[in-house]
Amino acid sequence: MATTVKPVTGRIKRPNIPAAGIQVPGVTSFEQVDDEILATLKPSPKWFIGLGLAIFAMLIGASAWTYQIYWGLGNAGYVPPVMWGVYIITFVFWVGIGHAGTLISAILYLFRAGFRTTIYRASEAMTVFAVMTAGLFPIIHIGRPWKFFWLIPYPNWRLLFPQFKSPLLWDVFAISTYLTISTTFLYLGLIPDFAVMRDKETNPIRKRIFAMLSLGWKNTDREWRHFAKMYMFLAAFSTPLVLSVHSVVSFDFAMALTPGWHTTIFPPYFVGGAIFSGFAMVWTILIPIRKWWNLEHYVTLNHLDATAKVVLFTSIMVGCGYLSEFFIAWFSGVAPEQEYFWNRVFGQWWWSAWILLLCNMIFPLSLFSQKLRRNPTWLWILSIIINIGMWYERFVIVVPSLSHEFEPWQWTGYAPSWIDMCFLVGSFGWFFMWFLLFIKQMPVIAIAEVKEIVPPKMKNDHGGHH
Amino acid sequence: MQGVLAVFPNLDEVCGAIRDLKAKKVPKVTVYSPTIQHEIDDAIDAPTSVVRVFTLIGAICGVTFGYWISIWCSQYWSLQVGGKAIASWIPYTIMGFEMFVMVGCLSTVAGMFINAQIPRLVTNFGFDARFTHGDYGIWIETTPDKFADLEQTLKAHGAVEVRGER
Repeated sequence: MATTVKPVTGRIKRPNIPAAGIQVPGVTSFEQVDDEILATLKPSPKWFIGLGLAIFAMLIGASAWTYQIYWGLGNAGYVPPVMWGVYIITFVFWVGIGHAGTLISAILYLFRAGFRTTIYRASEAMTVFAVMTAGLFPIIHIGRPWKFFWLIPYPNWRLLFPQFKSPLLWDVFAISTYLTISTTFLYLGLIPDFAVMRDKETNPIRKRIFAMLSLGWKNTDREWRHFAKMYMFLAAFSTPLVLSVHSVVSFDFAMALTPGWHTTIFPPYFVGGAIFSGFAMVWTILIPIRKWWNLEHYVTLNHLDATAKVVLFTSIMVGCGYLSEFFIAWFSGVAPEQEYFWNRVFGQWWWSAWILLLCNMIFPLSLFSQKLRRNPTWLWILSIIINIGMWYERFVIVVPSLSHEFEPWQWTGYAPSWIDMCFLVGSFGWFFMWFLLFIKQMPVIAIAEVKEIVPPKMKNDHGGHH
Repeated sequence: MQGVLAVFPNLDEVCGAIRDLKAKKVPKVTVYSPTIQHEIDDAIDAPTSVVRVFTLIGAICGVTFGYWISIWCSQYWSLQVGGKAIASWIPYTIMGFEMFVMVGCLSTVAGMFINAQIPRLVTNFGFDARFTHGDYGIWIETTPDKFADLEQTLKAHGAVEVRGER
């Protein structure tokens, strides 16, 4: 998979800038990979502070859920007919965040994109935890979470099965498949790294745990041969899965006749937006990690530059989606559709629509500048801007449509309640709690795959390794 | 189980040793490598993995199950709406697709586990912890009377350590 050239010898002048086919010039040996990546597993004060904040935020959400279970969904800020609010917005937001991980680990693997190698583990973990977060929101939204299992088709005492023509059931299948496959992908990629950790570990209890997690992996040729084939097939399966999951989520909206929702552009527009927001979240988590744990020679400026190009492309893609929506509303000649889009941009919801347009279409244009693409500080700031913009994109899709349907007497407003906001904060706490726990127990950069792009030791160096 | 274990620091040396062992038709050779190295694959020239068969069977079973569960449930608890079909294949394609992916992936993983012979309980026999870090290795399952000959061959190719295990 990887293609490298001669090992770099002597002092490396620019370890952060790959050149001449060497992706990570600051990394010269397998032992260095083991030592530096495993060193990130030692807890630091910053990590404890981060974990403490995440748990605090998560507890805010947990308290809100307890309160809501006791007092009912009436606390959620719904105003009929706006019966989808922050919960569904946040659900779509987190599913979208989850997309970049599988895109990076599967699609970029199939395309043999070199910049994937050092960023895919963090992105995969992000995917799993984002989908875990997203999965909570439909359960929260149904109000009686203990009846969630009614959505699962199983022979039950009511002799009643769910409606397979409902997009909400499609979500159940799509999200559960996505969570299963993402988790499988993450775990299988970790097996060779668990073997490294098992053989390096001195604490007998941890050694035993890593031995179990590594499943007795020994790095034999037989294992690698079947592993490589399996990995390729998993990537091949995950590629359409990435595209399908957010398409299915978009059907939740597109299958309804509601103005602003009933459009065939939703699936590609949702998928583009999901990849866009997912890459932004990859920056949000990876840029501090590379800085604080001195991994700048693994996640190099070229890696950031490449991801910035993906973000720029997907920004333009969602921008075209926004403009197409306006065009189609005008071109269709359907009065409620035109009225709705006018109301979205210049009426009741103008502020949210302009936040979305600024954050998702205007600010990312800065990435046309190579200087800004290679500036980690700007990329981190931009990632926050994009995440805000993408949350608002879902707000703009959900709320203005429901609050401005066909009948003028139905038109209403919507304001999230404090319970809604607690859930939103709690979702970030839940996500970051899992992610922070992950990065202190498991390598945030894939050890075995980085070794693939490091020139191996040769006795007779003939100048090439392919 | 008994055999000879050799440790190599360099990739080209281990590849040379593999080719030599193949030329001598030495059976039951296992090669260790810290990561996937195509030079080793070329030297071993192993047949294509049969994991793909598991993938195909799993994917076919999955897509069949996805359509079947949707159609069967709809027939069992039929919701008749204005003359529309009780079982409609277009929306059921989503269930078919999701099950195709899920079962296809999980059977691929099962295929890898079966063929790679993991999980395994014992790792330390015929193995050295250096193989997960930076060194390469060759394990040859053989009888003690052939140890000396194999040791000579492996050392000639640059093995830094050769030991018999029984």
